[in-house]
Amino acid sequence: MEEQDKLKILKELLLTEEKEYADSIAKKVEELSKIVHQKQKLSHKVDPIIDDKLEEFVEEIPKTLGPTITQTLKEEIKNSQDAVVEALFPIIGKMIKRYIAHEMRLLSDNINKKTKEAFSFKRWFRRTKAKAQGISDGDLAITDYAKPRLIQMFVVEKDSGLLIADYSPLSDGTIDKDMVAGMLTAIKGFVEDAFQGGNQNLETIEYELYTIHIQNFYSYYIAAVISGAYNLMFKEVLEDQIIEFAKNHISRRDLENSELFTNKLKKHFEDEIV
Amino acid sequence: MKLSKKVVLLGHFGVGKTSLFRRFIDNEFSEDYKVTLGVQIKKKVVEMPDGRELSMIIWDTEGHTDIEDTRKSYLLGSNAFIYVFDLTRIDTYKNLSEDLDYLTKNHPKVIIKVIGNKLDLVNEKETLKNLEELNVKADCLTSAKTNKNVQDFFSELATEITA
Repeated sequence: MEEQDKLKILKELLLTEEKEYADSIAKKVEELSKIVHQKQKLSHKVDPIIDDKLEEFVEEIPKTLGPTITQTLKEEIKNSQDAVVEALFPIIGKMIKRYIAHEMRLLSDNINKKTKEAFSFKRWFRRTKAKAQGISDGDLAITDYAKPRLIQMFVVEKDSGLLIADYSPLSDGTIDKDMVAGMLTAIKGFVEDAFQGGNQNLETIEYELYTIHIQNFYSYYIAAVISGAYNLMFKEVLEDQIIEFAKNHISRRDLENSELFTNKLKKHFEDEIV
Repeated sequence: MKLSKKVVLLGHFGVGKTSLFRRFIDNEFSEDYKVTLGVQIKKKVVEMPDGRELSMIIWDTEGHTDIEDTRKSYLLGSNAFIYVFDLTRIDTYKNLSEDLDYLTKNHPKVIIKVIGNKLDLVNEKETLKNLEELNVKADCLTSAKTNKNVQDFFSELATEITA
């Protein structure tokens, strides 16, 4: 046996295990290399298809998902109204919320009032009246609701704007009547000066659901605050009543005595005007 | 029995009519200057030395450089006029005599008081000397900012208009 052969046999005996290990690594490297190449090959083929499909998908979104999204949003808004209001509140502003709250409060007050009345003598009387007049109970209730009502009366010295007397059939109110009398006189003076109408006088001021009816006399004027539908018929009746009051019940002495004037005013306008 | 009197504040722009008005009624003062448009009206109930209560209805009118431009209807039925001028601005009192003549002529029964305001911005002694030289007679020098002489002035006026 030659030297070379002996060495080969010795190598085989000593390095068999390492050779097997090296072979297995080489095999694994070859397998990984195949996978990488295969993916690259696939990617070239698949990517354009995916891109096309994606483009198609984006184009189709409004048609396919649009209605679903809209419906979902609608439901979400419907189910979380408070949250939506909270989110929109700073943008749209306090005005809308306050307005709605105010209207709801008014509606609620009216419902409460009507519910109370439903069991009252007033209700029974209205039903009978409606029957007699041949109109519906509801129509009569609406007429009642819009009916003009006297809220407050001010008797004011014409030049100075000082309050002589006042009367409120509903409540004492929280406003300062002296200041109201002054401001009414200032407004009257401003309008009468500004339009240079000679001896013409300001006769009405309207604000939302209220009307201020102003009736002028020589040294004083009477301002009546009216809520509800201030119509021509009511105006005429009110004018007649104020004239009758001034003509038959008020003297020079009353103009100098605020308490006396107030008592007379109260006595005269205690009952409903129309 | 109710006792009410109407008092009107008059004078040029920015002399401190509204500041005096606010100081007397609400005991407040602000450095912010806001021009009065038209008129603002407030009430102060003053207790008189004899125990009666007087409602002073005070009309704070917008300023005018010419007194004749003041809306005439605002002056009607007044019990007192308070003519306010600015101690730091001579143009607000250089026509004082003519303005007072106009008021006296058209409203002979109304009490007229003259106030020099913004006393906190001037030297009192020097100012009094200057006013004397110019023959300007003020009933009172006040500072709406520091409240100097304001309450006393209105208390005296209340007594005078109810006398």
